[in-house]
Amino acid sequence: MRCILDGRIIVITSGKGGVGKTTATASIGAALALEGRRVAVVDMDIGLRNLDVVMGLENRIVFNVVDAVKGKCKLKQAAIKDRRIENLYLIPASQSDNKNVLAPEEMERFGEILRKEFDYILMDCPAGIERGFENSVASADEAVVICAPEVSSVRDADRVIGLLYAKSITPKLVINRIIPEMVERGDMLNHIDVVDVLSIELIGLVPMDDQVIVATNTGTPLVLQRKSKAGEAFRRIALRLNGMTDLPIEVPQAEGHFWRKVGAKLGLGK
Amino acid sequence: MKKDQQDNHLIQKSPVRLKGMGDSLCVTLDPALPVDALQKELSILFKRCATLAVNAKVILDTGEKECYEELIESLGSFLKSTFGVGSVSAMLKKKRLPELPDSEEDIRKRDVEDAWRHYRSEVLMLMGRVRSGQKVTAGNHLLILGDVNPGAEVWAGGDILIMGSLRGTAVAGQPENEKAIVLALDFQPTQIQIGGIVGAGLPPSSKKQVEFAHVENDTIVVEAYLDANAFGRLPWLQVR
Repeated sequence: MRCILDGRIIVITSGKGGVGKTTATASIGAALALEGRRVAVVDMDIGLRNLDVVMGLENRIVFNVVDAVKGKCKLKQAAIKDRRIENLYLIPASQSDNKNVLAPEEMERFGEILRKEFDYILMDCPAGIERGFENSVASADEAVVICAPEVSSVRDADRVIGLLYAKSITPKLVINRIIPEMVERGDMLNHIDVVDVLSIELIGLVPMDDQVIVATNTGTPLVLQRKSKAGEAFRRIALRLNGMTDLPIEVPQAEGHFWRKVGAKLGLGK
Repeated sequence: MKKDQQDNHLIQKSPVRLKGMGDSLCVTLDPALPVDALQKELSILFKRCATLAVNAKVILDTGEKECYEELIESLGSFLKSTFGVGSVSAMLKKKRLPELPDSEEDIRKRDVEDAWRHYRSEVLMLMGRVRSGQKVTAGNHLLILGDVNPGAEVWAGGDILIMGSLRGTAVAGQPENEKAIVLALDFQPTQIQIGGIVGAGLPPSSKKQVEFAHVENDTIVVEAYLDANAFGRLPWLQVR
């Protein structure tokens, strides 16, 4: 039986690699923690550990998720507390194992333990739809599908959405890495076309942002950088996940088109 | 008077009908029914004819599809033994082949109202969205109310009709029915296959109109459905 006070496990997945799952997990997790929630981000990419680097916590890893699931350590030992943001914890992946060391049944049991300790548990799912995906999804209550506005990413996201529905999880969509200038020129898929194909609830549009690379390399949370557009977009996604469902979705706009913006406000043009 | 009406009604509805044709009696019957039911219906009719049936030539018409030689033989021996009819033969098939041009008379004889009464539908009708990686298979026709996404595959023994956008792969008329069609309200497939013919690399059409693919001279041709109106030109309704 699940208690109402128990936390929610949200799996962040995409099918295709390199669309920004890890960045999204780190940013949404940090933003939810800034809202005062107790948040755990779990790196499920066993063997290819990344999330710790993105969050700047790589030098503090002692135990990892495999140890915690197998009972070699306590959850408190494996969960690394972030020093900059209160209530944010990282459960890192193991770098030396492979994905087969965990089984979906074990993850379900581990999920029950996590739910008791945290308000939100974000699972950073590895690319692909094999064992790593199965493990990440096993205990999840909700899913956020990250999709880049590219045909290949849309197709993989579509496949993942089908698999999530098969596991009775209703996914929500985040479109990442939008370059508004290219969309305007017609060189990049419009977010409307993507939503049209995937037809699931959209909870955020994230623009391409150089700050992401800076934040990833330095291990600083993106959402703490006030001028980062992507950080702002992830903050809004976190608010929406945290219950502010009526928060409007901002469409990334190209800069330097003042008159066009005025025109759009007046209802002219497209 | 009332009984007469009832009788008329019975004849209209009954699966076995009798009419004169030249010097013989033509019996139209529904081959889908069991033999004893047909025998019962035939006895009702032939009892009424009484002496007329003796030594008469009887032609049994089992409809347009396959021949039912066994059925005709068994019914024939039944009629000969019970009512003493002269000869029993099957309706000549070549008159019924739709490919041949029918004479005016044949067209009139065709029971336009009833041709599909005993036809059982074999259409798989689904609603929703076929997502990437999913494959939908239908033995005969396939009708989808919804979309087919890129990376998805729809496969059918007969026609494929998509009431939405088709962006995946559609394989119709398997294994070798090249008369099958693929139709979609928004026609943007990755690939089309009809029978053994593959239409890969179809140029994308930007026109928002209902289009369908069919085979013409061993190649797949895509046309605007309403402009071509291929089925609207048929002279009468037919079962597909």
